[in-house]
Amino acid sequence: MAYSDKVVDHFNNPRNMGSFKKDEEGVGTGMVGAPECGDVMKLQIKVQNDTIVDAKFKTFGCGSAIASSSLATEWLKGKTIEEAQKIKNTDIVQELNLPPVKIHCSVLAEDAIKAALADYQKKADGALVDAK
Amino acid sequence: MAKDTARLIAMRDRLEASIMKALEESYLNGHPTNRLPGNLNISFAYVEGESLLMGMKDIALSSGSACTSATLEPSYVLRALGVGTELAHSSIRFGLGRFNTDDEIDYTIKKVIEVVTKLREMSPLYEMAKEGVDLKSVQWAAH
Repeated sequence: MAYSDKVVDHFNNPRNMGSFKKDEEGVGTGMVGAPECGDVMKLQIKVQNDTIVDAKFKTFGCGSAIASSSLATEWLKGKTIEEAQKIKNTDIVQELNLPPVKIHCSVLAEDAIKAALADYQKKADGALVDAK
Repeated sequence: MAKDTARLIAMRDRLEASIMKALEESYLNGHPTNRLPGNLNISFAYVEGESLLMGMKDIALSSGSACTSATLEPSYVLRALGVGTELAHSSIRFGLGRFNTDDEIDYTIKKVIEVVTKLREMSPLYEMAKEGVDLKSVQWAAH
């Protein structure tokens, strides 16, 4: 299996690997995939004033899955919630030069982004209800 | 031939013992003694086989999981041996031959420990297990 230089670079030097506390204020957590399928991604965002100020990931999976989630955290930082919603798996495929058998890794990364955004939104909405 | 066999078994056993002693939750696949002299297959919980191979590019190994195949199914041989799907995704097969040296075994032991440790730090499953989450009780979204 030939990996692109970018996949190898993200694998050897993962960006933003780690975790935030799930209950920390402004943190949204997305966990997608299944151990039985051979890949699980956890992606977290930290939001302040509608902007993603930090992002972290942990991934169980092949090199392309690790690279896709590492790249996703790089892209998420500095984006607004609205801009983050627009990240597409095809952008990841293009940036990392993923072969067809690895497209599911990019799909999983997009799902993880969506799940983290949804979790943040749910928590933010809940906090609003509590305030009332 | 008999001399080669004895030497291979000694190297293989040293590789197996050193790796399994250093890494918790590593599991030998197959029979402990009734196996080919140069064959060793170990599952490392919480890390995926293909990423293990990628971290050890300079060592000729194969992953139990056929991640690049169209089906993404893990090894049916391991499955037939009774290995669960999760651990079958986390396995590495080491094949030793008469031209391997003790230095190469030392290098492989060091590298395997280093890469498994690094990838476990990166694994959400390892993190959950350390937090005491029973991974079998989690509702995973299969894809």
